[in-house]
Amino acid sequence: MPQYSIRGGVHPLDDLHSGKKATNGSPIQAFIPETVQIPMSLFLGKPSVPCVKAGDHVDLGQVIGEADGFMSLPTHASVSGEVLSVEPQMLMAAAPVVTVTIKNDFKDTWVRRKPLGQSVDGVDPAAIIPAIQAAGICGAGGATFPTHVKLTIPEGKTCDSIIVNGAECETHVTADHRTMVEQPARVVEGLRLAMRALGVQHGIIGIEDNKKDAIAAMQEAIRGQEGLHVMPLFTKYPQGGEKQLIYAITGYEVPSKGLPIDIGVVVLNVGTTVAIAEAVLEGTPFISRVTTVTGCVQTPKNLRVRIGASIAEAIAACGGYGEQPGKVIMGGCMTGFCVPHDGMPIMKGNNAIVALTQKESKAYEETNCIRCGRCVQVCPVGLNPYKLKYICDRGDLKAAEENDVMECVVCGCCSYICPARRQLTSSFKITKDAIMLEARRAK
Amino acid sequence: MELHVSNAPQIYAKDSTRTLMYDVILALLLPSFAGIWFFGLRAALVLVIAIAAAVLSEYGYQKILHKPVTINDLSAVVTGLLLGLNLPVSAPWWLPVIGSVFAIVLIKQLFGGLGDNFLNPALSARAVLLASWPTLMTNFTRPGPSLDAVSSATVLSGYPSIPLQMFIGNIPGTIGEVSKAAILLGFLYLLLRGVISWRIPVVFVGAYALLALMLGNDVLTGVLSGGLLFGAVFMAPDYTTSPMTAKGQYIFAAACGLIVALIRNFGAYPEGVTYAILLLNIVTPLIDRSVKNKVYGKGKQ
Repeated sequence: MPQYSIRGGVHPLDDLHSGKKATNGSPIQAFIPETVQIPMSLFLGKPSVPCVKAGDHVDLGQVIGEADGFMSLPTHASVSGEVLSVEPQMLMAAAPVVTVTIKNDFKDTWVRRKPLGQSVDGVDPAAIIPAIQAAGICGAGGATFPTHVKLTIPEGKTCDSIIVNGAECETHVTADHRTMVEQPARVVEGLRLAMRALGVQHGIIGIEDNKKDAIAAMQEAIRGQEGLHVMPLFTKYPQGGEKQLIYAITGYEVPSKGLPIDIGVVVLNVGTTVAIAEAVLEGTPFISRVTTVTGCVQTPKNLRVRIGASIAEAIAACGGYGEQPGKVIMGGCMTGFCVPHDGMPIMKGNNAIVALTQKESKAYEETNCIRCGRCVQVCPVGLNPYKLKYICDRGDLKAAEENDVMECVVCGCCSYICPARRQLTSSFKITKDAIMLEARRAK
Repeated sequence: MELHVSNAPQIYAKDSTRTLMYDVILALLLPSFAGIWFFGLRAALVLVIAIAAAVLSEYGYQKILHKPVTINDLSAVVTGLLLGLNLPVSAPWWLPVIGSVFAIVLIKQLFGGLGDNFLNPALSARAVLLASWPTLMTNFTRPGPSLDAVSSATVLSGYPSIPLQMFIGNIPGTIGEVSKAAILLGFLYLLLRGVISWRIPVVFVGAYALLALMLGNDVLTGVLSGGLLFGAVFMAPDYTTSPMTAKGQYIFAAACGLIVALIRNFGAYPEGVTYAILLLNIVTPLIDRSVKNKVYGKGKQ
């Protein structure tokens, strides 16, 4: 079996397993919280419109926020119980978001939609994409782009293969890994449903070779099914980035400013395929996801978390903090966000919670660039980060754009490797945001 | 509970500027010990004076100008040590002092400090000393612990060549350049630690050997003599003054090698490594500007 890789890249934590060893052998456990806080913008797009009020009783899976147009998703109750409040709250976004808080009555009284069929082959292809929207499914890998939009192919474009992203190159995260080991059939069903909806013949599951058991499980699960392939990949961060994964698997590059569909490819996360399979074959909406809770907690675990559970409750389910944490990160250490406090809810794109010790959270001061060239060598895009940072830091948006700052995938490799501890990635992120804001204002 | 918040990434690789400099110092200790072994304790004295002068001048300069003192990053130690290794053991005490002050103050600090100098500080100091005190700088003694060792010519200016002795370092020359075995061990260490890549040293020496062969020189003697290996391993790959991209580094190293062969064959100097590298240091910004990596998603598929 051929194994492919990307250019540049790093091995975070100087180890092929990058902090994953704590949880890559622990089975997924269900975790049901006492209260959930469900923001109406769990996804990228127009927020849902809340349709419940404080004091209402809701069932598990009941719609509590309706989709507001095509670029939007409905939001479902992830526990059954009483609605405590519906009000704007300051969460991870820049502005307050209307959030529904529900107290769990632990009865788990379900309202499910009618399944479209018992098996993939019995499902009406035209009904799949609407069912995906109705189930509130968005990309579970982190970007939370609505999946039904991704699967709606723009006119004039064709899709000839769907790639399942099982690379999981981020540090510490083992959510997709365990999902592939424990539910390989569900992953394949989700992939085949997406292929069926689009009439696509090729499905490829890309998995980094530090997950040998997942590769074996998926190979077993696709056996005898036409058009499906498992592609082992050399382990290297950021291979799980969409553009990098497409290059690693197909050898083609997504054109600048373009989308994967421009070269006939759609990429789905492992968690997304499972959500699709559950939505179509069971009628279950996207109300829970696998999140790896690890770092300085007593017992690191892979939890199937109800959406909206607080980080603090999830950490308590892992025995609490092992020591006073310095940072708590949503996601892996290369691209994750630091939360200001651990009362934040776990959301649909949240594949891990990593608690770092005080020592690991040490901040470094930027020193002079010594022009060692490491940032140039590791950049998976082929930028000159050392030079681009000078341009970005002086606020020259035009020159930054000419030097391809918009092509930066914000993977963090340059900042990670920099011996002078220069904050390269965050300079580029800030500049990219500023350029996009300018563009919106100009409209 | 107090939580820190910072931008991604949240973790960093182990290597810092200081550890990289420390690794270079460790690698340079091999040729240093070889020099002390062959030339006696006076060699150690020259090295210590060069290092002390470099560190003190950096400290003094930064104190006087109220800048943050950065001697802890060890880069001044590297510059001092490199310069000391480029001096003959007979150098009077003030020669390394002038060289180190020149390297640190004029070449490194006046241009903005670490990372902003456009010439290799130690190498440009050597060039200045060589132009100002040519007899003192080329007063090479035969190896031997005694200070009365006989002055003599180097291989490049007429000393009979014995490849094995040259490889071990039992020949006249500067303190650090004589033992090729020690230099190669240092190179191996830097490679294994990932401090430098093989590109510049290997292409540099390879390009020299190729042109020397075409010009009918004795290639083995040419490679083992003078500062070629020392320059290729410890001077040319200097981060600040060599190109950033792999392609740029090939161009840089090949040009260095070719110029060394040209100077050695047609120039007035018997040795050309210093000038070849300095010349390419000046060209480096131009190389970095014209040789870029292809950007993902741009250009033809």
